Amino acid sequence: MPGRSLRVPGLRKIVDAWPWWLLLLALVGVRLSKGAGIVDAYALLSRPFWPGPAQSQWLRSAQLLQQQASVEQLERDNRRLRALLELDRNNGQRVSAPVISRDPAGWWQQLELGKGSSDGLRPGQPVLAPGGFIGRLSSVTPTTARVVLLTDGSSRLGVWVARVQRHGLLVGQGTPRPRIQFLDKDTGVRPGDVITTSPASTLVPPNLLVGVVQSVNEDLAPAPDAAVQLSAPVDAVDWVQVVVR
Amino acid sequence: MGVLHRQRWCGATGLVVPLLTLASPAALKIAGVAPSWAVLWLLPWALVDGPASGAVAGLALGLVLDGLHLGWASEVPALMLLGWWWGRIGRRGLPIERSYNLGLLAALGAFLLGGSLLLQLRWHDHHLAPVAGWHTLFAQSLLTGLLAPVLCSLQLLRWRRVAELRGG
Repeated sequence: MPGRSLRVPGLRKIVDAWPWWLLLLALVGVRLSKGAGIVDAYALLSRPFWPGPAQSQWLRSAQLLQQQASVEQLERDNRRLRALLELDRNNGQRVSAPVISRDPAGWWQQLELGKGSSDGLRPGQPVLAPGGFIGRLSSVTPTTARVVLLTDGSSRLGVWVARVQRHGLLVGQGTPRPRIQFLDKDTGVRPGDVITTSPASTLVPPNLLVGVVQSVNEDLAPAPDAAVQLSAPVDAVDWVQVVVR
Repeated sequence: MGVLHRQRWCGATGLVVPLLTLASPAALKIAGVAPSWAVLWLLPWALVDGPASGAVAGLALGLVLDGLHLGWASEVPALMLLGWWWGRIGRRGLPIERSYNLGLLAALGAFLLGGSLLLQLRWHDHHLAPVAGWHTLFAQSLLTGLLAPVLCSLQLLRWRRVAELRGG
C-alpha cells in the first residue's frame, strides 16, 4: 500500500498550516509577556498625542485666566474698601495717548505724547504704559505733552517695597536703571523684590507696579540703595495712558 | 556776514534740525544715543556764511532745541560759540573741504556741546550718573564725527554754490 502513509490527511494539514502555528506561538508569547510588544507599539504610535506641551499650555492658560479673574475681583474689592475709607482721591479717567517722539537715552529721558491740554492733560499727571508706571507729565501744549521718564536725572518718586514694607525714593540716573534711596539702614531688601508706587500716595495712583530690584548696595552710608529694573519697556512703548483727574 | 542768510529757503533748512531731534531715527543711533543734528547743520552754515551769521544761527537753533528738552540746561552758549568759531575758520585760510577735517570739527563741536550740557546738568541738582554722562558724550561725538563727512560736505557744496551765484 504505497502512499498510504502520505495520505494521512490530518498530519499534512497540520504541517501546511505552519504560519498559523507561528501566529499562535506569537500570541502565547504576548500573553506570557503581559502584552509587551503590543503596548510598546501602541506607545510608539500614540506618542504624538500624549499629553505634552500643548496640554500643559491649556492648563497654564486656564490658570492664568483664573488668576486674572481673581485679580480683577480683588481690584474691585480694593476700590470699594478704599472708597469706604475715603482713601481713593484719584478715581480719575484714563486718556490713551500715542507716543510721537521717544528719546529714552541721551541727555534727557523724555517722551512726547500726541495729546495735550485740549484733551484734559495737565502737568504733573501720572503716565502709565503696558507693564507699569513710567513717569509724569512735565509740560503740555494744546496738542502735545512731554513726559519725564522715571529714568531721567530730574525724576523723583516715592516708592514702596511691599515684601519688607519699606518706603524709598526712586531717583533717576540718566541710565536705564534708576536707583532707590532708602531712609533707614536695615532694609532687608533683596534682588527680585517688587517695587510699586506708595499705597498712601495721592500724587500718583497707589499700588502701581514700577519695577523689580536688581541689585542692592549694602555698603553705602548712611543707608543702602538699590538698582531697579523698570517693568515697562520704555524704549518700545507706543501708547500710554494718562491718569486725568 | 555772508549772503546765505538772505536766501530764505537756506535758513528754512534749519527747521530740519528740531524735526530730526524729535524723530530721532533709530537707524542713526549708537547705543541709543542720537547724533547732534544741530552741530551737523551749523558746521557747514557757519563755514560758508561767516562768524556773525554762525553765532546768530547758533542762537536760533539753541533757543528752539532748549524748548524741546526737559529742565533748564541750555545749548545756546555752546552753539553760539561754535557758530562764531567755525565762521572764523571759514573766513580765514583755505576753504575746508576734506572729510577728515569736517569730521574732526564736527566731533569736537559735539564734544564741546555735550560737555557744556554735562557741566550744567551737574551744576543743577540733576542726578546724572557719571557713567551715563560720559557714555552719552562719547557716543554722540563719535557718531556726529562719523556722519559729518557725508552730510556736511553735501551741504557745503550746495551752499558754496549758492553763495558764489549770489555774489558772496
